[in-house]
Amino acid sequence: MKVINIKRAAAALVIGFAASAHAEGELSVLTWEGYTDPSFVEPFTEATGCAVTPTYVGSNDEFPAKLAGGGGVYDLVSPSVDTTTILMKAGLVEEIDVSRIDHWGEIYEQFRNHVGVNYEGGVYGVPFTWGSIPFMYRADRFDEAPDSIASFWEDESLSGAISLWDDKTNIYIVARLLFGTDVNVYDLSDDQLAAVRDKLIALKPHIRKFWSTAGELVNLYANGEVTISNTWGGYQSSLLAEQDIEMVEFIPVEKADGWADAWQIVKGTPNADCAYEWLNYATASGGQCGVVGVTGYSGSNPVVLRECLDEATFEALNQADFKYIDGLVLWEEPARVDAYINTWNAIKAAQ
Amino acid sequence: MKPRTRRLLNFWSLFTGPALWWGTVLLVPYLMMLAISFYTRQFPFHVPDFQFGNYVTLIADSQYFTVLLRSLWIALAVSVTTFCLSYPLAYFLAFKVRSNRLRLFLYTAAIVPLWVSYLLRAYTWKTILGSEGILNSFLMWIGIISEPSTIFLYNQGAMVVTMAYIFTPFMVMPIYASLEKIPRSLIEASKDLGAPRFTTFRKITLPLSMPGVLAGFTFTFGLSIGDFISPILVGGPYSNMIANVVATQFGMAMNWPLGSALGVVLLVIVLGIITASDKLERIGRINLG
Repeated sequence: MKVINIKRAAAALVIGFAASAHAEGELSVLTWEGYTDPSFVEPFTEATGCAVTPTYVGSNDEFPAKLAGGGGVYDLVSPSVDTTTILMKAGLVEEIDVSRIDHWGEIYEQFRNHVGVNYEGGVYGVPFTWGSIPFMYRADRFDEAPDSIASFWEDESLSGAISLWDDKTNIYIVARLLFGTDVNVYDLSDDQLAAVRDKLIALKPHIRKFWSTAGELVNLYANGEVTISNTWGGYQSSLLAEQDIEMVEFIPVEKADGWADAWQIVKGTPNADCAYEWLNYATASGGQCGVVGVTGYSGSNPVVLRECLDEATFEALNQADFKYIDGLVLWEEPARVDAYINTWNAIKAAQ
Repeated sequence: MKPRTRRLLNFWSLFTGPALWWGTVLLVPYLMMLAISFYTRQFPFHVPDFQFGNYVTLIADSQYFTVLLRSLWIALAVSVTTFCLSYPLAYFLAFKVRSNRLRLFLYTAAIVPLWVSYLLRAYTWKTILGSEGILNSFLMWIGIISEPSTIFLYNQGAMVVTMAYIFTPFMVMPIYASLEKIPRSLIEASKDLGAPRFTTFRKITLPLSMPGVLAGFTFTFGLSIGDFISPILVGGPYSNMIANVVATQFGMAMNWPLGSALGVVLLVIVLGIITASDKLERIGRINLG
């Protein structure tokens, strides 16, 4: 009898475990901090019965790395639109049926039509948030605002006080500095990449530190290590404001990159219904107002954001100004992404 | 049951678990890494193949050699620094401390950093070496400098200091163990025969502690050449190490073949160092007769 009992217990355990792992209504999400904040996820779970379990990433690198390394445990991911492409091309994410997204038509068309969410005639991503990559400086250390990144090479007083994001996107703005703002920064030739590489290597003696997380950049300013850097528009400057450090964000004459993050459904997810529930919620007022409130980024659906943002905030987030997005150089996956990554690695390796 | 069968049964009942563990988590991954290093990169992934292109890339593109050379240099600097700090400490513990309780206390104090998270220990050095950190505040307070200096943090020196601190236990433990094993009678005999203190140290203590020194060097060198946390936390623009490049290849680049080739090169270097230290130790043994 004892044996049977153990067998039964084991069977019950296995069934119970399997049931909890594949339970309808449990979304496992690989995303950025703040994108599944309890403040707006709890109402979602109450309304739909779909629980959300987030895993946070620190950089876009982690999306392809985690999905390619056997990412069957995730249902949804939220990479930036320069990383969405590699996931589509690698067949790691599913095509999205936009007829199931109620607010699809209200999303900025610049993002809906973006190359990062469209692939072979299908849609593979639902834009969620966006912003710019401006530069910023400590207000108390500058009499006059720099207007061009050329000063990084020329102004001796900045030497040793500069921080740059540890990311290949630095190539884009330096390419615009060297070849003019009209150059297609996503299709640079080998010679152009080599020129960008040499220019950035020449800047290295003046760089204090490459920053890799939001918290790291905040600490670099708070500890008096650096005075000027690029930044995730609106995010780190507001964190520094909480520490009474006044920052000024500016867009140099070389223009700024624009970023957008989009939700993608991982191929073969058993929780597709809950995933669509989330995509709907994320682009409706619940998700949009929630994420904008938590992160300070701009949202992809200006129509529903009108419902929760006052006019001043709406303006401050550039949600009213459709032209603002056009002034940014929106991220895309470069045509030869391997060459770009190699260039950035060569810059970091250089002695 | 025949004795032979029983012996076999006993053997496998004891070693099946370790053999499975060793095979699945050590041997198979290494073989996979070796196999993938011969694959061909084909955007966005790779295809199985047998070619040496990835290794050719590592030689042809000078950035990999630069990073490899830097990693070797940093690992050597960390090992030498750690040795210079650890040997006197281990010597003091083994020979100079008379009280057993005091020795245990000091020994524990030397290795207790091992029980604290690596990240936490590295972060601590940021608050010590930073522009507004403890070291700068102290130097300004005693009047050596009038303005905070930026030379302590975010460079290779900061990495060496941080890693030397973190890996000190790995040097102290083997050296202490080998010093403690030295028969006191040999040292007394040397003194009886009139050898000055330093000669005794040079001819008796140091040679007999060499196995510990080599073990410490091997640990420290192997750990620091593959480190990728300290370049991120306390390193500067000239601090990228080989492990950081490997991490990039498995991240955004999704270039597993090149990443694996780098991994194989790193593995060969570490195995080479272990073999060399093993050889050195044997030579030492023969010389002592």
